[in-house]
Parts: sequence; C-alpha cells; structure tokens
Amino acid sequence: MAVLEIILVIFLVFSALMAVYFDEELISIIFLSIFSLVLTALYLLHKAADVALAEAVIGAGLNTAIFMSAISQIRHGDSD
Amino acid sequence: MNKLMKKIMISVVLTGVAFALYQNFSLMPEYQGLNEGLSNYIIKSGLNDTGSLNLITAVLYDYRAFDSLGESTVIFGAVSGIVLILSRKMLPVSSKGLSFIVKRALGIMTPFIALFGFYVITHGHLTPGGGFQGGVILAAISIIFSIVYGSAFDYRRYSPQTKTLFETGGALTFLGLGLAGILMEGAFLQNLGFLTAETGTLISAGSIPYINIGVGFKVGAGLAIIFYSMIQKTFEEDF
Repeated sequence: MAVLEIILVIFLVFSALMAVYFDEELISIIFLSIFSLVLTALYLLHKAADVALAEAVIGAGLNTAIFMSAISQIRHGDSD
Repeated sequence: MNKLMKKIMISVVLTGVAFALYQNFSLMPEYQGLNEGLSNYIIKSGLNDTGSLNLITAVLYDYRAFDSLGESTVIFGAVSGIVLILSRKMLPVSSKGLSFIVKRALGIMTPFIALFGFYVITHGHLTPGGGFQGGVILAAISIIFSIVYGSAFDYRRYSPQTKTLFETGGALTFLGLGLAGILMEGAFLQNLGFLTAETGTLISAGSIPYINIGVGFKVGAGLAIIFYSMIQKTFEEDF
C-alpha cells in the first residue's frame, strides 16, 4: 500500500511539473488530465470514494473538454 | 518586462502562496482519531438523524444543506455570466461531426452513460456519488453530442431553452424543499421526516434523494450550457 502511494505521489508531481514545463497548450492539458487521473487513484486509495468520483468526472472529463474548446478559440489569434 | 523580472515576480508570488498555505495548515488542529470531535458525532448518529447510508451525502444535503445551496448559487452565477459574455446567437454554425465509426460506437455507449449518471444521482444517499457528480456525468452526454455529432444535433435534441428549463427546475426543486422544511419541520432545509422509509431502500432518507435529483439536473444543465456557449464561436470560424 505504502509503495503504491509513493509511486503515485511521484507520478503526480511529475505530471504537474510536465504540465507547467511544456509550452504547447495541448500537451499541458493532456498532462493535467493525467494529473487528475492519478489524483483519483490516490483518493480511492485513501477510501474517499465521493471525492474520487467528483475528481474523475470533473478533472479528467469536463475540464479537458472545456480547456480544449478554449484553446481551439485562442489558436486563431496570433500569440507570441 | 523582461524574462528575468517575470520569473522573479512568479517566484515571489509562489513563495507568498506557500507561506500562506503553511500558516493555514499549521493552524489546523492535530488529527485526534475517529473517536473525538465532530466527525465522531456524524459517524455515530448520522444514520439515525438522516437515514442516509452515505454519510458524505448526509453532511452535504442535510447537516450543511445551506452550504450546498450556496454552491448551486455560485454555479448559477457562473453560468449566467458566461452566457451573458459569450453567447451571441443561439444557433451556431455546426460542424459535420466525426467519422461514421465514432458516431455509431458512441450511439451505442451514450444510453449507458446516461443510465450511469441517473444511477449516481438517485443512489446518492446509498452509494458514493450524489447530485453533483451525476449531474456532471449527464453534462458529458451533451458534450459528446456537441463534439461527435456536431452542435446542431445537440441543439435539436436538447435546445438551450430546454437546458434552461432543467436548470431552473432543479434550483426551484431545491428551494421548494427548503421552504417545505420551514412549513413542516420548522427550519429551512430541515429533513422532511414523513418521507423517511426503511433504511437502505431507494426512496428513503427524507428529502435527500429529491434534493439530489434537483441538484443533479441543475448542475448537469448548467455545465452543458457553459460548454455549448463556449463551443459555438469556434465552429463559426472553422466552417
């Protein structure tokens, strides 16, 4: 249990850093989605099923869709 | 402002946030175990007070139902603001959608997603889940329609007027149950005692299942409206 938790936390920090590191918005959004999935696994490991369900649905599902539609709108304008 | 100044500013702000978080967390009381404090009271007598097996739903929609009403109001305000800013006309220029294979596969899967959403909403007082989570699952169906079949399909099936009707209906259900609590039990959003049935059955736990259904429809319709008004300008420019 503890080993799995440590692996998940390391992967969580890794995906958060990668989401900040990349300049491409699409890759950042995909890493945020991975972040939410790992966080869901951590919540489930700590027996918080309600929060895990909310995180999976909102973080991995809805946020990704809304961010995708947002970047598809800002892609048309020229940015630095 | 050059790059170095920007990085210094960002580090200063991040350090400040970390310091504030550390201050807040150091003020929190130590973990006392499950045998003391408020959580112990809820674990001991939550089932007797509310009749809800899922204690988190009991806290959300019975002990702290007023906070949930505030959350729904926040979502309502967000939806109103986004629609006010982004929505120019109600029927956007739609895309043709994705390929035939994706359309058929999601045509088979979508009813089961809807069924799972309704299951999560109606069993909120028995199993993990509740109105908010199930409502977001229902909003995902509208997002699938917009992306896979094109937003004109979404408009024809569930027009924004229908979604508005669902949202206001859910909010009015929540408020009406609160007023019924005043009339029958003496306090706003008090759990209605005469609706309680045998613990563990689908229609039990007083007014909690009905509040769940209201919140589910409200949140689902609200988030679907947000996504719909965000997507429409994109398709206007693309096609």
